[in-house]
Amino acid sequence: MKKTLAIALCTLLLLAPAVSLADGVQLTMGSWRVDDSVQVEAMLAKYKELSGVEIVFQPTTSAQYNSVLRMQLDAGTGPDLMYARSYETGRDLYEAGFLVDVSGIPGVKENFAPSSLEPWQNTDGSLFAVPFAAVSQVIYYDKDIFAEQGIEVPYTWDEFIAACDKLLAAGITPIANGLGSNWDILECVFLGMLPNYVGGSESRALYESGEKALNDEAFVKAYTDFQQMTKYFPEGFESIGNDDAVMVFATGRAAMVMDGSWSCGTNDEYGANWGTMAFPVPEGGEAAMCFHPDMAIAGNSISQYPDEVAAFLEWIATPEGAQIVADYLPAGFFPMIDAPITFKNERVTEILALNEGRVTDARFVWPKLMGLYNPMLEQLNALARGETTPQAAADAVAAAK
Amino acid sequence: MDARAITRPIRRGGGSIRPSGAYWIWYILPALLVYAVFMAYPMLDSVRLSLYEGTTGARRFVGVANYVKLFTDAVVSQRFWNAFGNTWVFFAFHMLLQNVLGIFFAHLLTNRTMRGSGIYQSIIFIPCTIAVLVTGYMFKMMLNPMWAGPTLKNIGLAFLSRPWLGERSTALTVISLVSCWQWLGIPTMMFVAGFQGIDEDLLEAASIEGANNWHQFWRIKLPLVIPVVGMIAILTFVSNFNAFDVIYSMATPNGSPDYATDLIGTLFYRYGVAGEHPIGIPEPGLGAAVSTTVFAMLLCGVIPTLRATRGKE
Repeated sequence: MKKTLAIALCTLLLLAPAVSLADGVQLTMGSWRVDDSVQVEAMLAKYKELSGVEIVFQPTTSAQYNSVLRMQLDAGTGPDLMYARSYETGRDLYEAGFLVDVSGIPGVKENFAPSSLEPWQNTDGSLFAVPFAAVSQVIYYDKDIFAEQGIEVPYTWDEFIAACDKLLAAGITPIANGLGSNWDILECVFLGMLPNYVGGSESRALYESGEKALNDEAFVKAYTDFQQMTKYFPEGFESIGNDDAVMVFATGRAAMVMDGSWSCGTNDEYGANWGTMAFPVPEGGEAAMCFHPDMAIAGNSISQYPDEVAAFLEWIATPEGAQIVADYLPAGFFPMIDAPITFKNERVTEILALNEGRVTDARFVWPKLMGLYNPMLEQLNALARGETTPQAAADAVAAAK
Repeated sequence: MDARAITRPIRRGGGSIRPSGAYWIWYILPALLVYAVFMAYPMLDSVRLSLYEGTTGARRFVGVANYVKLFTDAVVSQRFWNAFGNTWVFFAFHMLLQNVLGIFFAHLLTNRTMRGSGIYQSIIFIPCTIAVLVTGYMFKMMLNPMWAGPTLKNIGLAFLSRPWLGERSTALTVISLVSCWQWLGIPTMMFVAGFQGIDEDLLEAASIEGANNWHQFWRIKLPLVIPVVGMIAILTFVSNFNAFDVIYSMATPNGSPDYATDLIGTLFYRYGVAGEHPIGIPEPGLGAAVSTTVFAMLLCGVIPTLRATRGKE
């Protein structure tokens, strides 16, 4: 007994200095961006240089992030800082008491436009996370193929269809997308197109409140154009997933792919000579863009280091901090701060420039109509397979509301 | 050795060397403990979980509400019965192909005139040793016209370049076949052991009586290896009702396209573990209700099969 006690005491004595030697504070950060570990870790290393606070990046795969984070928070082992999903998914965590109110953090209210704050706003107007990055839904095109075929970058829907026909006639697959992964056909393709048909956030609010019907003329037209466009998908598009589509495009086997701005890195990696365009505008439509508020950073309400958590959140809300974040984050994630940010990759600047002169909005179903995600996805599948008509698809989605 | 130990008479009746009471408990205790802690407790806890709602922190007792939802909610019950039906189709493919091909290959491999049967045996068994995610991904590429199409066209098999995994009508069949291909080695090995266990004398006697190979196979060999089918049925039944990885790697956890490949395993994963995209918040209670229901069904399937095959022995 005495011996055990002695050993325990010795161990304690040995450990005591080790504990007090641990220099500074170590925070953890949860995220769904496993792919960005290297970049985010470099950014956090830079932050350590500036502040002395070490932040360890602990990402989980995107598909499991929400459930894993929820379990961690429930068990009281959640990370100090964490990526927060926009709208309801993120708000649920705040309402369950897991996240700190960040409204009072200096710079947050001043440096972000109200529309950028809205996705992370609670019903009482307070904020549960500091906006971090938005993504654009765009069409990537192969500059070499377009030049060879003498095709100008289309602006209107008719020009776009004419370009697709020309490519098809030349034996080139116009659009690389498919149904295999069964999320990108909605998130990257249809919701990318949609703002051109139904307008921006003000108009979306009318659909949410029920003042406009989800099977109105604008929606039917959007489904009609979507169905027309699927003719230009590759042979066997039913089994082409998002990874396949990006790869097919990046290796020059299709002229275009509809995807998110986050794929710039992959396209560069495979040496594609790519450019981006906004989704074509239908006749009589107003040019709009899907610029989706994707990630924000929240603080854990039971963190041992609330001051350090607040300091980091304050840092990303400053123009200087946001610029450093932009320098390190992978291409295609745009800081949402209301300040001029410069990007090293000029093509990324080009993507952001597509927003100019266009109304922007989040992905249509995200803010309040998430229940329509699956019904809409099912109808898009049926449309692409030619199993339903645009009117029937619109009616089915409207009935699901 | 101590001589007394040998000469000491073994007394029977009262005061026997057999320890009295439930001495046997000490023999089964270790296994019982392991079983109780790692099998029975989690299983019972999962039954308990199916009566609750919410995640760990804010769990609320809701009685049988999860079961009611599972069987009456329009969407949930449709998904459940769809996955249930698909799982039976998946099982039927395995039973048919693994048994027929297993017997066929095992019969060839145990043929005395066959040379290099060891090599063939290894070839048939190798796929079992590869991770399902790897074979699944490989087949996904091979079955995709975008990647395999050009090669197939070059060798004149253009008609095979189809979106096999993208069509509702073919996806489940194709995935079942891939899974059968991967696991064929195990029933084959079991049948090989079965055929090897048949007494040579029986076959010799049969051939003296004038039975040809055809008769020997149908009348002697096959009836003697039939009990193996029962064992394979149970193994396949259990593994198919828990199958998840092959669908996860070849389709998606959503059982694409349009839930045509959704099995009980993927359904459970979506409801109980990962949550449905894009919200991604699971309902562990509903997941537990799925697994409890399936457990009850498995039990109803396994016990009669076990009884039936035991009877034959």
